[in-house]
Formats: sequence, structure tokens, C-alpha cells
Amino acid sequence: MRYYPFFPGCSLGATAVAYGDSVKAVAGPLEMELIELEDWNCCGSTPYGSTDEPEAVCIAARNLALAEKTGLDLVTPCSACYTTLQNANHNIQTYPDLKDRVNDALGAAGLEYGGKVRVRHLAEVIFTDIGLEAIESKVVNKLTGLKVAPYYGCQLVRPHRGFDDPEHPQTLDRLITSLGAEAVPFPLKSRCCGGSLIIPEPNLALGLIHQILDSATANGAECIITPCPLCQTNLDAYQGMVNARFKTRYEIPILFFTQLIGLAFGIDPKALGLDKGAVSAKRVLDPYLAVAK
Amino acid sequence: MGTKAYFMIKTAREAGGEGYEEALKALEAMPEVESIESVSGDYDHVARIHAPKSVVSVANKILENEWIKHLEVFKVETDEPNPFLEEVCAIPAGESIRSCAQCGMCSASCPNIDKMDYSPRKIIALIRAGRRHEALSSNTMWVCASCYLCTVRCPNDVKITEMMHALECLAVDRDLASSRTATPTMYQLFVDSIKKNGRVHELGFMIRFYLKTNPFAAIKMAPVALQLLRHGRMPLRARKIKGTDQIKAILDRAQVLGGAR
Repeated sequence: MRYYPFFPGCSLGATAVAYGDSVKAVAGPLEMELIELEDWNCCGSTPYGSTDEPEAVCIAARNLALAEKTGLDLVTPCSACYTTLQNANHNIQTYPDLKDRVNDALGAAGLEYGGKVRVRHLAEVIFTDIGLEAIESKVVNKLTGLKVAPYYGCQLVRPHRGFDDPEHPQTLDRLITSLGAEAVPFPLKSRCCGGSLIIPEPNLALGLIHQILDSATANGAECIITPCPLCQTNLDAYQGMVNARFKTRYEIPILFFTQLIGLAFGIDPKALGLDKGAVSAKRVLDPYLAVAK
Repeated sequence: MGTKAYFMIKTAREAGGEGYEEALKALEAMPEVESIESVSGDYDHVARIHAPKSVVSVANKILENEWIKHLEVFKVETDEPNPFLEEVCAIPAGESIRSCAQCGMCSASCPNIDKMDYSPRKIIALIRAGRRHEALSSNTMWVCASCYLCTVRCPNDVKITEMMHALECLAVDRDLASSRTATPTMYQLFVDSIKKNGRVHELGFMIRFYLKTNPFAAIKMAPVALQLLRHGRMPLRARKIKGTDQIKAILDRAQVLGGAR
């Protein structure tokens, strides 16, 4: 069993509740224990860093200080949290005077950050620490024939270069294959969904979402998987608005990659939150659920 | 103070030929010429000049010599202070914009460039020209979705996305944020939600957002919100962390300490 301090991020208690459910459900079979970081706060995300930079880095650093006490890597399933915490961590580690000021501010709450935490994305942990072979050995319900588009989004692979290519990532493709399903070619796999701009700039974001859905379906995808809560919400909850605006008829379920893993592991669909999508996954996944039972 | 420039000069007197040395000496003797070197190729000399008033007047003075065939202004350097550039360079990774070569890879990579007042490349040019108001009152950074495609593609390692975030902060600080986009309002309400609860309450800040910007847009968005509610994806109540007093203490202190790296 491997132990990880876990930073779920705000969306796992709200729009991405299915992500939280499915992560919990697959953690056991993957022999991971995710221990929620005690009293974590919002990472600040792009909005805070774009409003007040000095405050934003301190907000993120409170989490890093809490994580440092555990002496272990901090793992988050949210790509936005990952990039935000990673950016703050990188800047604190790079600029000594920034680190001093952050620690001065943290001191007001009795906290201190030495700059030693490693921030990691859950997807990277699953691919690197657990590995595809271990995943494949747990598959009891091969998803043979299911055509899946791997949607990485932006912030899993950018700007911090790590375990996969920033523009042509492959890990999710390989995961899909290891579960017995088919990864379809997907040119827009790491293009932007608009993120939180869907709220203040809906026209802009709907256009981007439309392009991504078009790229996936044009290549025969029956569902899309993603490791990002924002991407899932944009592609799923706003699919109806895309259809209305662009006169399209997309009806493609958007799953978290952990839901697809759980399905192949034969885990109960309800425990994976597969009923939580705005676009129902029933029609596409029903043939595979029967096998699961 | 004043301006420095480099001139590429071609004379009618070829190297080794009659009068070449005299021409070089005449140029060297000019008080505006700081240094001069002979070069090969289309030009004979490159001169670094100091222009107390204008670069053009120095160029014209040199052109008065009948043996000058051609003169081209190669590069102009001004030592005028540029506090705006210094401000941007003071944020973490901000100094990277000094190495921008204006190649335009960022602009070519941006998925939202068609919505921007100025492309990412132009915004960098504006900062380096010290044109604070134009840069900060534009909508460019507010339609950046932070996808970091420009950043990973930049051949000179300019941290363009971080620069966009810095411009947003400076625009908010100077009260110049564009009113043609609702992004600053949404970001501010998001921040308020964190300050209050330690975490973001999506429903709460979205309701405040639509009330503040365009209540009619909320009607269009209602089906999306209802879908999410129906699937248990939009909790009605905010979750407060235990350490909200810690958040307040940290932010109060951060405010006293102020900005920049």
C-alpha cells in the first residue's frame, strides 16, 4: 500500500463529485491510500493569481506548508490545482526573497514552508508509481470495442514538463488500450476548453468546446475521458448549449479517467458516479455494464 | 540621457581604395560618433552614435558628406526610464519578457487571439515601449484561458501566461481593467468566495456574478445549473474551512508586505 496526502480541490465536492467518488473507488484496487490534507483551502486557481499575485502565492503556500508536515508528496486530481500549486511552489523555490515574504505571511498563522514539497497530479502518480502493468492485471471487465477519446486538456501537461509531452501526450492513450478499449486518434487532445472563461466569456468558451467535441466525434469516439474537473464540466454540462448554438447533435458522455478504470475493474457504476453526467453515459456504457455484473 | 543608435554606413570609397581612410577618420572625428568599426558585406562601417536631440538629425549630418552612398538606422536604444517594464519584470518570471524576439510564435499558438485587442506578441512590444495605459486597459489578458501553449512553444522561454496574469493584477491595482469583458468581475467574486470560506462555493459566486453583470444571462444558463443541481453537482451551501482566521491573518500580513518578487 502506498500513502499519499491528498488535495481534492473545491470542485471534487461540487461539479466533479463523480471524480471524487471514482478516485475513492479505484484507490483500493490500485493499492493507494489517499489521506485528505487536513483543513486544506482553495489553491487560489487562475482567478486569484490574476487579481492579487502576492496574496495568491500565500494562499497556495498555506496548503504547501500543511503538506510539508506530512513529509510526503502532495497529490491532487485537479489539473488547475496542480498547476496553481506547482507554480507557487516553483516560484517560492526559485526566488529566496519571495520565500522569505511568504514565510513572513504564513508566520501570522503559525505556519512555515521550507520549500520541500513535491506537487503531483493523480494521473502522473497512477501512471508512474502504480504503472499500466499493475492496472492491466486488475482488469476483470475488458472494454473491448469501446472507442474512447483521451482528452488531456492543458494544465496536466503544461507548463510543467514532466511525465508526458506538452502537446502530444500519450499516457491516457496507453491507459485506454490497457483497459481493453480503443484509443481513437484525437488531434485536439491537449487543446484548451476555455476553463473558467465559460462563465464570463461563454461565446469564446463554447467555440473551443465545440471544436474539441467535433475532433473527438469525427474520429469515431463514443466517449471522452479526462483527468480535469474543469474540462469535464465544460464538455459535459455545456454540451447542450453547444448543440443549441452550433446546431449540432453531440451526445457524447464525458468521463473521468478514473471512472473508466473503475468500469474495467468491475466496480459498481453507482460507486463510480457514472450516473452523474449531464450527458447520460447509459446508452454507450450499458453493453459493458452487463459484463461487469 | 538621450538616445543611442547604430548606423550601417556605405561609402563611395571602398576599402583599400583612395580616400577610404580619410572617410573613416572624418566619421570618427564627429562628436556624435562614439565608436565605429569596419565590416564586410553590403556596408562598410557600423557606427554607434549618441543623439542628444534626434537620431534623424545625426543621420542627416552624416549624409551631408558627399562620399556617403547609403545609411541605414540599424537599432535605436533609449535610456529613458520605463517603470512599466520594471513593474512587469518584478513579478516572478516577469524578467523573461526582456528576451522576447518578437517572433510571433505565441500569437500563432493562441486559441483566443481573434478575441484579443492586442496579440500576445504586441502586448510584449507595448510593455517594452512603456505604453502602460494601452496594455493595461486592453482585453487581451482577460481572454487568455491560461492554456500555456504559448509558454511551452516560446523559443526564448518567455513566461507569457504568467505575464498575462501579472498584467491582470496590475490592471486591477490601477483600476484600469477593461469593462468590455466580465472576467475581472468573475475573478474578484471568486477571490471573495475564498476569503470568506477558505474554499470556493460555485453556486454562491455564480449567482453573485450574474446579479452583478447580466441577470438575463442567468436565464440562459439556468438549464446548465439545473442539470448540475439535479445530479448533485452543485451544493447549495458553502463549506467553510476551520482555518478561515488563518487565511485572514495570512492575507492581512501579505497586504502589509506588498507585491513584487
